[in-house]
Amino acid sequence: MKLKRMNWWSVLLIVSLVGILFTGCSTNNNASTSTPPATENNTNKENDTQTEAPPAADQPVDGGTITLSTFSDIVSLNPVFINDTSSGDVAQFLFAKLYDLNREGNVTAEPWSLAAEAPKVSEDGKTYTVKLKDSAKWSDGQPVTADDIIFTIDTIRNPEAGAPGISLMDKVDKIEKVDDKTVSITLKQIYAPFQYSLVVELIPAHVLKDIPVTELQKNAYGTDPAKTVTNGPWKWTAWKQGESHTMDADPNYWGEVKPHIAQVIYKIYADQNTEVQALLKGDTDHISAIPVTQVEAVKGNDKIAIIEKPGAQYEYLNFNFDPKNFPDNYGLFEGQKTRQAIAHALNRQGMVDNILKGVGALMNAPFLPDTWADPKDAAVNYDYNAETAKKLLAEDGWVAGKDGILEKDGHRFSFELQYNAGNSRREQVAAVIQQNLKDVGIEATPKAIDFAAWIDQNVTPGKYQALLLAWSLNTPDPDSESIFSSKYFPPAGQNSGWYKNEKLDQLWIDGYSTVDQNERKEIYKEVAKEISTDLPYVFLYQYGQAIGTGPRVHWAEEDRPEPSLGYGQYFHAIKWWVTD
Amino acid sequence: MTEYLVRRLLQSVLVIFLITVATFLLIHAAPGGPTQVMLAPGLSPEAMAQQKANMGLDKPIPIQYIKWVGGLLKGDLGYTFKNHIPVGDLLWPRMANTLILMGAAWFVSLIIAIPWGIYNSTREYGLSDQTSSFISYLGFAMPSFWFGILLQQWLSLELDWFPLSDMHSRGKEGDIGDLFMHLVLPVSVLALGFLASYLKYARASMLEVLDQDYIRTARAKGVKERKVVFRHALRNALIPVITVIGLDLPILVSGAVLTENVFNWPGMGRFYVENALAREYSVLMAITIVTAVIVIIGNLLADILYAVVDPRVKISGKGGKSA
Repeated sequence: MKLKRMNWWSVLLIVSLVGILFTGCSTNNNASTSTPPATENNTNKENDTQTEAPPAADQPVDGGTITLSTFSDIVSLNPVFINDTSSGDVAQFLFAKLYDLNREGNVTAEPWSLAAEAPKVSEDGKTYTVKLKDSAKWSDGQPVTADDIIFTIDTIRNPEAGAPGISLMDKVDKIEKVDDKTVSITLKQIYAPFQYSLVVELIPAHVLKDIPVTELQKNAYGTDPAKTVTNGPWKWTAWKQGESHTMDADPNYWGEVKPHIAQVIYKIYADQNTEVQALLKGDTDHISAIPVTQVEAVKGNDKIAIIEKPGAQYEYLNFNFDPKNFPDNYGLFEGQKTRQAIAHALNRQGMVDNILKGVGALMNAPFLPDTWADPKDAAVNYDYNAETAKKLLAEDGWVAGKDGILEKDGHRFSFELQYNAGNSRREQVAAVIQQNLKDVGIEATPKAIDFAAWIDQNVTPGKYQALLLAWSLNTPDPDSESIFSSKYFPPAGQNSGWYKNEKLDQLWIDGYSTVDQNERKEIYKEVAKEISTDLPYVFLYQYGQAIGTGPRVHWAEEDRPEPSLGYGQYFHAIKWWVTD
Repeated sequence: MTEYLVRRLLQSVLVIFLITVATFLLIHAAPGGPTQVMLAPGLSPEAMAQQKANMGLDKPIPIQYIKWVGGLLKGDLGYTFKNHIPVGDLLWPRMANTLILMGAAWFVSLIIAIPWGIYNSTREYGLSDQTSSFISYLGFAMPSFWFGILLQQWLSLELDWFPLSDMHSRGKEGDIGDLFMHLVLPVSVLALGFLASYLKYARASMLEVLDQDYIRTARAKGVKERKVVFRHALRNALIPVITVIGLDLPILVSGAVLTENVFNWPGMGRFYVENALAREYSVLMAITIVTAVIVIIGNLLADILYAVVDPRVKISGKGGKSA
């Protein structure tokens, strides 16, 4: 009797396994045949994504739950210590900021900002007066006061606290309380980017003021939902570590504009691929980064709306100018013409078209395209031209050696190009760079290194030959002194390539020493011209990741996500609504 | 028996001690540290030093180790560097989640593999035997994440029979039916992996035993085939199988990182990888020590089980008789 049943089992098993294999094939077939029509839609989609996907025709409804997601958990929600995107994401819902950015990137007192009006700048450009809204309250019912602003800024600029935002506040000379709701902040010098330092979340002085500043980071404020007093539209109800965060609309929220969505779930997925699957299934409603390789597959699903626009980040190829990093102390990148030749040798447009699938824009200077500081033609553009590259290299004294690799004074033009392991975009870009440079007689060897080890041993101490990395810009301000000025050499500064250009050092200072935007614009044009000629980096491209939104989420046109702003994937989320 | 257990336990303590020393040194020798990963670039060297001091990372490694062992003896697994959360709060729920997933897969594969392997040994190269071989090859050869993605595409995204990923639907934590539905796909993937080896072991070890002289004797005596298989052969054949199963026990808590990733299961495999990348020393040490303890318990259990299935195996100090 038993034996008979066994036979049945085996037959069933065979059938089900064969079934799996067949469907495996057919799924693939479906995918490949259904992709082309989907791409056709795409051409139109660019324009209608914003309007078509979340139908704005119907009126907002209150209530419901939105599920957002990411692929790593938060570290701490104490805003003073936030230094990773997941913590920053969650903070967008829990904390009001002193000021917010509007879609154009200007500092604004929105209805949900803590400040009542735009900051008043004194005539000498050094003192900013900030006035809070009378209604602003913490989730424990206490009012948000001038003391909170003073406590927050004092904590951030205190080196003992270890706050990552210390450089945003280090130009502050003193903060004075004008009245319970008003402070005046005086800077040591005119420093135009300071207005963006006011786009900041506050911490509650009445909760934290008695904790020694060195103990703040260890404090449960920021990791224990019950102890984290907030002041935003939603409250932090629960944290299931490694799994999810729950945020519920605060019934006592002080703002005039109340959130429509009753509950925000922030889910943590194992990786981006798992997250995309969940978006297709409807387990999550809104994801901020669809991997380039999956964008086409997601487009094939007509329920998912995609917003593709480059964000506030750019990738670059960085040269090291410290000869100690090269054999015989012979710096390979000393010659300006050599660097220009490399810029000509690289097919940057090809990288944007093929690796970024078009979601990117070439850059020639460290200023994002379409921002007010965009230098446009003032920066030198290097077209992809191997012949020009070869000519420049020859002019700089490089001649082909026996194996075809260029040589000068007995030194082979061969270097190591480092990037962080696991970043598939950089892996592909590194391979293109290797090929492009080989075409002009330069040997580049890509090397992937584990991120933590890389930052520790190469990037921070400035010990490498060349590297591939990106900057993500926290504020829309064009000031980049801390990256390019010789004041910021390693290991303390971020000028990891030991780049020194006295003209630029001074221009960066000029750039932030006036608050007149037109004047600044002219200065940054000068910067762009100089930096694109001298090339401490080959600026590659501005890039971004596609935002995907499921059918339950809706917003009015003016409240759509804005990829060019930091955390812009949740732009005006207070005005979004969900339907079932 | 008692003497044996005591001796084994003492050995185990020594082994665990050596493992912790080796791991501690290795982890600290890896380049980068928790501060590199979590601190903002461009922070002044003084501020960085301050942070290291706040976390106790400025002390020499032997002192850090002694502090860690001291905490451990009091049952304190330490705190995460990045946000000062007790490691135990993070570790135990993850371990429970993994145990549910891996335990289910392990159990399913055992109840299929052992009876089926035995049956196949009596009908060598029959249809059932060939099928089980095919399944074994599939299980060995097919990458688990790929099989997982296939199942998701077909049974979840297309047919919508099972949930795609996660351990619970939102708001249904603790609902056994919901948990069961979430288990089906990942357990199928993992069970196939276990099944592949258990089927082979059960069959091979039975075949070997069935070829022995004493089986021939039993058959010659006219013992019924059923009795030959279950009474005479099975107990002997189970010994190597128990060894393999004992060696697999630690996987029940250490998890399967790829399958956990694909199904977004909040288990130990993912937990370990995340913390290795973040250089969370105290978490890594906690996982190491817990896993080491379980490996040792697994081996011990296997030894004890030998004695249960095979009276000839005597667990004793010196020539005592027991079992």
